[in-house]
Amino acid sequence: MKGIKETYFGRWLGDAIRIFNLELRHVLHDGGVMIIFVVAGFLYPILYNFVYKNGILEDTPIAVVDDAACSDSRRLIREMDATREIGIAWRCTDMEEAKALLQQRKVNGIVYFPSDFGDRLAAKETATFSIYADMSSFLYYKNLLMGSEFVMLHEINRIKVERLSLDGLTDQEADASVNTVRYEDVNPYNRAFSYSIFLISAILMLIIQQVMFYGMSMSVGTMREENRSFASLPDSLTGRGVGRVVLGRGGVYWLLFMIIGIYVCCIVPAMFGFPQRGSFWDILVLLALFVTVCVFFSMTWTTLVTRRESAFLLFLFMSPVCVFLTGFSWPTTAFPAFWKGFSYLFPSTFGCQGFINLNTAGARLDVIAPQLRALCIQGIVYYILACAAVYVENFVLKRKGVRSTSTLPESTF
Amino acid sequence: MTFFEKIDRVIRREIRIWARRPIYLLGSVAVMAFCTVFYLTFLQDGVPSDLPIAVVDLDGTSTSRNFCRQLDATQLGKVVHYGSFAEAQADLQGGRVTSICLIPEGFDRDILSQRQPTFSFYINGLYFLGGSLAWKDILTMVNLTSGAVQREVLRMKGVPESEIGGLLRPVDIDVHQIGNPTMNYGAYLANMMIPGMLQMVVIIVLIYSLGAELKYGTSRHLLDSVDHDVYAAVSGKMALYTVLFTLIGWTVEVVLYKWMHFPLAGSLWQMLLACFLLVVASESVAVLIIGFVPVCRFALSIGALYSVLGLSLTGFTLPVEAMPAGLRGLTMMYPLRHYYELYVQVGIFGSGFGAWYPEVLTLLLFCFLPFLVLGRLGRAYTYLDYERN
Repeated sequence: MKGIKETYFGRWLGDAIRIFNLELRHVLHDGGVMIIFVVAGFLYPILYNFVYKNGILEDTPIAVVDDAACSDSRRLIREMDATREIGIAWRCTDMEEAKALLQQRKVNGIVYFPSDFGDRLAAKETATFSIYADMSSFLYYKNLLMGSEFVMLHEINRIKVERLSLDGLTDQEADASVNTVRYEDVNPYNRAFSYSIFLISAILMLIIQQVMFYGMSMSVGTMREENRSFASLPDSLTGRGVGRVVLGRGGVYWLLFMIIGIYVCCIVPAMFGFPQRGSFWDILVLLALFVTVCVFFSMTWTTLVTRRESAFLLFLFMSPVCVFLTGFSWPTTAFPAFWKGFSYLFPSTFGCQGFINLNTAGARLDVIAPQLRALCIQGIVYYILACAAVYVENFVLKRKGVRSTSTLPESTF
Repeated sequence: MTFFEKIDRVIRREIRIWARRPIYLLGSVAVMAFCTVFYLTFLQDGVPSDLPIAVVDLDGTSTSRNFCRQLDATQLGKVVHYGSFAEAQADLQGGRVTSICLIPEGFDRDILSQRQPTFSFYINGLYFLGGSLAWKDILTMVNLTSGAVQREVLRMKGVPESEIGGLLRPVDIDVHQIGNPTMNYGAYLANMMIPGMLQMVVIIVLIYSLGAELKYGTSRHLLDSVDHDVYAAVSGKMALYTVLFTLIGWTVEVVLYKWMHFPLAGSLWQMLLACFLLVVASESVAVLIIGFVPVCRFALSIGALYSVLGLSLTGFTLPVEAMPAGLRGLTMMYPLRHYYELYVQVGIFGSGFGAWYPEVLTLLLFCFLPFLVLGRLGRAYTYLDYERN
């Protein structure tokens, strides 16, 4: 019986391990790449968590112009001040004064009660008050609108019940005829519409993809600059064994990024008291698949990189674009068709969605089956593309006669 | 050789570099073109429509079906029917629907007999925009349903139609959105995201242009051509890039406010000035970074970290006052932050110079930053004594 080293599988494994070792040495010896992996991989999640630590904007300062000056308007103002969203910061005598405050950014909205507000209520007509929201940030608008709508709905009920009571109904009868339908709204995964819970869930996975991509492109660029190739096949393989090169090299990044990934997805959220509703093992499955796809994705696209720094110039702008393509803010159902197709190019699109659903919404793996399926397809396609890239690269190299770097001296290992 | 002749030489030299290596123009013109197209077409609808809303109708009467039809007819919502709550809940967790409306069994019967049935709705707040819009949409529909029942009761009692409105809705709100009357999410984001990308591109490309001289050891050649005047070398490069980036920025501003007709209370000229100042201030930051760390790769990494974080620290999404106290001061270090403040005054309030001159002064102050490091950069250019890679 032949020893394992002489079987096809044995040779295959031996080659892959040698390539793995070589690549690992490259990466560990390249200070620039290690800085990106370590500093960006470890620092970015912390920085973002810190920026968005208190994701809830409370007590947005509002100016009030109360021309009505009746007990009803005063009660409404008190109730608005009591909401979490709104804080009454200024009481102005006229709109001009309030407008000036808005312009000086001392307040982010104005509430105006017209002089006929009380009279119209007394006459049982609809009494209207106005709100003016500063749209420089949608959160100001959201706070002003939510706060005043809560108060309005509450007041509508109160006034109706009061009127019916005057007509001689008991409180219970009045309530039943005003609140014909009761409702309860539940926002289970993000109770307070916290900006940080929504944003951080989406970008943690993206950080993994981007850091890997920039790091790998720097490493590939370096080899290119030194007139070597990242992809050349060991001479001993005589042009075959593309899969070994891809898997051997990829193994290095896979291992490094599983470590970084567990830190980003499991330790960072715990450090910042971020919701972790999913099971650790489910997240690990998603992470393992996502990192695998990211490796092949990066290997495919870094083929285009020719210099050490060019990825920064050409691809840095893709990070915010990828964030939008995850559909975490602008809903996926409203994507224009072209950009929807474009979003399928990036592992982050499915990885981030999967992570939001698993970790923050507490879903199980079966719920994110569509994302896992998409990641599998991406993985297969990018693996084939990465292999093709190595094949083409070698073909070109042979033509040019560039020296192969991965000449593997047997004695080294 | 006069100062201007030196600058002229640097500019000619830089243009030759552009011609030889397309990465400079790809990294600036092509990247900005892509970003502009992306942010303008991706968010072209302004407000999303037809958000999937799951309905679990356990009642199945004409009242509940009517509610579903009404909800489906709103611009925001599109009703998807589910047989059981468990199925709908899995899709809510998976982000495939924005919300679930649970219509309880006996809904219609309980309304008619005044037993006040409870209608529940669940929102996935992790998909922020979809979740909050669906929340608003459903809440409106529930109140309308409740109002419709009350209207029937009032009619039966013989209350005249003219009085019903006031009785049903004693208080109403008249909402005014200053600076974005149609609540156009696309305009809101594109207004700041595209200048944000411009800041990023300016910083990265200028750092690279200055750093590549160190990396490829051509800095001495550059200095030789200008009599070892580092001021002229850096000014020449900055002058050329200022022209390039200002032209790109102005094109963007014209596209935003003249072509897309995004709301702008003030005049376009004021935004063009703001854009020019953003470019110059960002360039100064780039020179500061490469002068401080005269290693191309390091400087680029720092520039990337700085400019990516800048999009968050500008405070146009999560306002600065909601950030931790220690970071609020840090936001002042971003030209984009001052551009944003300037935009708020010009674009939203249409204020005059008196309201936004402090931002202009701050952006001009950025221009003094390069003087802190030019000596250091000059030495690095002369001796090339830093790590190249």
